[in-house]
Amino acid sequence: MAERTLLPDDLVRQLIAVGQVDVLVGLPTYNNAATVARVVKAVHVGFAKHFPRARTLLLTSDGGSEDGTSDVVRSAALDESETLIVRHALRTIHRVTTTYHGIPGKRSAVRTLFTAAELLQAKAVAILDPDLTSITPDWVGQLLLPIYREQYDLAVPIYARHRFEAPLVTQLVRPLFRGAYGYRVREPVGGEFACSGRFLSYALKQSCWDNDEARNGIELWLTASALAGGLQVCQTHLGTRATAGGKVRPTLPDLFQQVLGPLFASLEANQAIWTSRTQAEEVATFGQPANPEGEEPMIEIGPMADACCNGVRDLGGILETILSADTLGAIRAASTAANPGVDFPDALWAATVYEFAAAYHRTTMNREHLVQALVPLYLGRTASFVESHATHDRMAVEQQLEALGLQYEQSKPYLVERWTSEGGR
Amino acid sequence: MAQMIGDALREAWINFLNGVVVFLPRMLAMLSIVVVGWLIAAVLAFAVRRILGWLKFNSLAARSGAADLLKKTDLPPADALAASLVFWLVWIGFLLSGVGTLGFTGMEMLVADFMHFIPQLLIAFVILIVGLVAANFAWRATLLAAVNAQLPSARLLSSAVRFLIVVLAVAMAMEQIAVAKTVVLTAFAIAFGAIMLGLAIAFGVGGSAVARKVLESYFPDRGKRDTGGVSHL
Amino acid sequence: MQDDLWYRDAIFYELHVKAFADSDGDGIGDFRGLIGKLDHLVDLGVDCLWLLPMYPSPFRDDGYDISDYYNVHPSYGTVEDFRRFLAAAHERGLRVITEMVMNHTSDQHPWFQEARRGADSPRRDWYVWSDTDERYRGVRIIFVDTEMSNWAWDPVSKAYYWHRFFSHQPDLNFDNPTVREEMWNAMKFWLDMGVDGFRVDAVPYLIEREGTSCENLPETHEVLKFLRQRLDQHFPGRMLLAEANMWPEDVRPYFGNGDEFHMAFHFPIMPRMFMALRLEDRKPLVDIIQRTPPIPDTCQWGVFLRNHDELTLEMVTEDERSYMYDEYAVDRTARINLGIRRRLAPLLEGDRRRIELMNALLMSLPGSPIIYYGDEIGMGDNVFLGDRNGVRTPMQWNGGWNAGFSATDPERLYQPLISNPLYGYQAVNVESQRRNDSSLLNWMRRLIRVRKSTKVFSRGTIEFLNPANHRVLAYLRATEDEQVVVVNNLAGTAQAVELDLGRLAGALPIEMFGGSLFPRITERPYVLTLGPHAFYWFRLRWL
Repeated sequence: MAERTLLPDDLVRQLIAVGQVDVLVGLPTYNNAATVARVVKAVHVGFAKHFPRARTLLLTSDGGSEDGTSDVVRSAALDESETLIVRHALRTIHRVTTTYHGIPGKRSAVRTLFTAAELLQAKAVAILDPDLTSITPDWVGQLLLPIYREQYDLAVPIYARHRFEAPLVTQLVRPLFRGAYGYRVREPVGGEFACSGRFLSYALKQSCWDNDEARNGIELWLTASALAGGLQVCQTHLGTRATAGGKVRPTLPDLFQQVLGPLFASLEANQAIWTSRTQAEEVATFGQPANPEGEEPMIEIGPMADACCNGVRDLGGILETILSADTLGAIRAASTAANPGVDFPDALWAATVYEFAAAYHRTTMNREHLVQALVPLYLGRTASFVESHATHDRMAVEQQLEALGLQYEQSKPYLVERWTSEGGR
Repeated sequence: MAQMIGDALREAWINFLNGVVVFLPRMLAMLSIVVVGWLIAAVLAFAVRRILGWLKFNSLAARSGAADLLKKTDLPPADALAASLVFWLVWIGFLLSGVGTLGFTGMEMLVADFMHFIPQLLIAFVILIVGLVAANFAWRATLLAAVNAQLPSARLLSSAVRFLIVVLAVAMAMEQIAVAKTVVLTAFAIAFGAIMLGLAIAFGVGGSAVARKVLESYFPDRGKRDTGGVSHL
Repeated sequence: MQDDLWYRDAIFYELHVKAFADSDGDGIGDFRGLIGKLDHLVDLGVDCLWLLPMYPSPFRDDGYDISDYYNVHPSYGTVEDFRRFLAAAHERGLRVITEMVMNHTSDQHPWFQEARRGADSPRRDWYVWSDTDERYRGVRIIFVDTEMSNWAWDPVSKAYYWHRFFSHQPDLNFDNPTVREEMWNAMKFWLDMGVDGFRVDAVPYLIEREGTSCENLPETHEVLKFLRQRLDQHFPGRMLLAEANMWPEDVRPYFGNGDEFHMAFHFPIMPRMFMALRLEDRKPLVDIIQRTPPIPDTCQWGVFLRNHDELTLEMVTEDERSYMYDEYAVDRTARINLGIRRRLAPLLEGDRRRIELMNALLMSLPGSPIIYYGDEIGMGDNVFLGDRNGVRTPMQWNGGWNAGFSATDPERLYQPLISNPLYGYQAVNVESQRRNDSSLLNWMRRLIRVRKSTKVFSRGTIEFLNPANHRVLAYLRATEDEQVVVVNNLAGTAQAVELDLGRLAGALPIEMFGGSLFPRITERPYVLTLGPHAFYWFRLRWL
């Protein structure tokens, strides 16, 4: 029923004209007029460079932009010297824009893109963030070639990061994902990914398009369901990721709802699979690591540590229903020391996150509240990590992050125990 | 005399025994009605739960958003709730008709009065429960929001919210069962005013810094970074 | 006067005398044999024969190394035989053009033999000599597979001589007015006999100048204008066809202002037809046609699918060439120079639908179509015969002895017949196809008949309709009083297409092969569905 109205009529007419394609790049746009032209050009040059013979399509699935994004996409010119290569393309260049139906958000946009791509029997599909400012034509090849040539089903990115960049990923999402699922994926919530035609068919049958928990973080759901479904996942180095600012960015608690909520929910949805896995394995990786570009961001540890101490003090009652007595005790001891900082070691952090995951599963309280209660602890852990490694170079910090990942892997039996125990329903 | 006393006693005894003879079957009938009613109610509840299970009532509730509400208020799943509601309604119905079979004149009035009062009592009870749950929910939401927005006196703020809602719920419940209407109204007005005054003073004393923080948390500056001056994602 | 432009409407047929029919049993085709087969060509609907070189020659370049311009190779017969052949052709309404190789002669030609005797030989400056091989550096070498330099050392006269093709083909020196006069005399010899024109070989290379690519020089155009002037003066109604394998904008000067060549081959369009078919995308074809400049009214392009040479990939980009190799010549033995030495049918994997579509494209795009002998029946090739001999095997007339080509022993044939089970003469031959109404031969006859039923294809303008579906190549061919809409499905799958024919609203499309009526054109998009590799030609009528 849903599929009957999933594709607007004008899109269907354009798809008839485009016909079967080999490679498709999808852009889920919403008010990206300022940046999308750059992405469009990079994609077309990337097509010409990496897929000179393939049948290609650039498809944007728009959420009803009011700033003329679709017009910018349609009219983005390819006449500059560096895009001359495109004009000598063997084939007709196709660029289609459509406005998707359904609940506004990336998920609906991706669903429309996937549905169209499946209809066109695309062999490899990449979804890119239209807000990217650091994209180069090589991203197209980096993402799609492992799918197109090496027969992988899903390619997730590896970004070149500064030491303490994106702590929500490095401290929480990455190790939790890695520890629970047992696959060493570095960016489970990357903004870009590529997948195979086989994956499209598989993904479109999953429940994540309709259930409430997956409204955000569709990338994470797709990665998790690919791994859970036994599909071949790989990673690919893309270099530095930068997006245009200027939009209203979500606050940290909102970010937790959007990222951690789906991660916990995906654990619940796939529990039959990951709880029985005991091994952790590397994921095939393509490309060469790059050095991060741009200035390294400065981090103020003080406010983060303060937020943690205040949070632990004020949220005592809530944390008691989530955490075990031992863990909470250790956290209290760490965050009330006379020392202005917080000492939050790897093992304690892994236990904390795992107990939160289990509490989420047992629904000891409203799940949104539960996710928010982790925010102060996360700030404390991040402050602690940054403080301990402030003088280390990037490789050393990288090693520490690897150690954190291993800690999560080692502590996985604890997660399984908490998860499956009769502590609640 | 003795004859009179004896007759009277015999008559009384006979009356009593007659009464007992009349009452005993009624008692037995009442008891059997109550027991059978309980059984019927239990079977009905079971059946309701089964049927709702077949009809995928829970996923229906999930789609309508009702399940989310239940989860947020820590209530049992939708089908269990519906089943227990059926159970209690049926059983109380049987209970009251059972009492009715006893045939006491005063009792009948009392039962009737009680029957009239029951809905209001039920409503009051529900109001109170919902109020308490809502108060708890609001307390936690306020506390987390305040802590994560790094407002001072997060606990004070959230406790105040909880107290306010509890007071409101109690007042509404009292109002429903019409116990000392004016007294409740007055007491509520006083309590509410006091809390608002307290909050006003608290924020006033807390000063402009707090106000600014509150405002900032509602209208975040576009270029502003999160805690720690870092982009977390 | 109208008839003077006959070449604009003609269907050409390219053939080797040696490969067509052998009347005297020596294993090599000849003019008397050819006379006996003219009815096949008339039946097919051909208007003009183009004979590959029939002059005396040591045959080191398939006759393009001429050793006498005034005679016929003895294997093919005598000048008298040729004269009779010409009369028989003209009697049947067939015209004949022959090869004129002006740029060079064979090193066996008496002219060269005389010239190489010494620096004081009277014919010395009929050729281009040098004491050093340093002159004209940077001029590209055409036969990259066999030649290292454009200069060759002559041990007899101890000097280098210039050759753009094989080293046994010294270039004539057209700076010498005597050479020009002599060339005209040679042409006049054949024109007097009644030949209807010449296909002039290797025209861009006539003149050499230091510091240039030695191609397309203004002096070369002067030579050509001189010859054209003589032709118009003495033989009106005859025709010159230029062979210049170059981009259309570079070929354009050879038409002059209608005062050089009447016709020139359009080389780059051919690989792009194959490419468009394989890509299932009209882009390459539309690009090249839009890139083609307009030519004078009295001129015409010559278009072809295959010819006696390799399928040339000189006029494509590097990417396009490697694509063509990968798609049409995975087997490296099929590659030669910058091209693919295969015939039409094997290139298209014997797929009747694709063969038909390609022929229909050839017949409906601008230009006079040239059919290569044997392609009308879908003959195969043999890449193992070396050079481009694989596409020059004997014509397959029937399933009998030597395919009806010759009565001699099979071992004596100038080249073995194609005998594999798929394309061999027992499966593919004129006789059996003539009897089968659904054969390729009979289909080709019908196609040519439809093509010739209107002048819109030979004289009309072309305008591309660009439907969103890139697998569909659609165009409007129009003259003042006729319009034809052509719709081709390049894809091997069924396609739907919406054509914007709003300005033709009210017209009634009539499919030209079967005469079927189609719904009247309206302002709204005209929706058509096409089967795999299907095509429609619609004559528009205002009824």
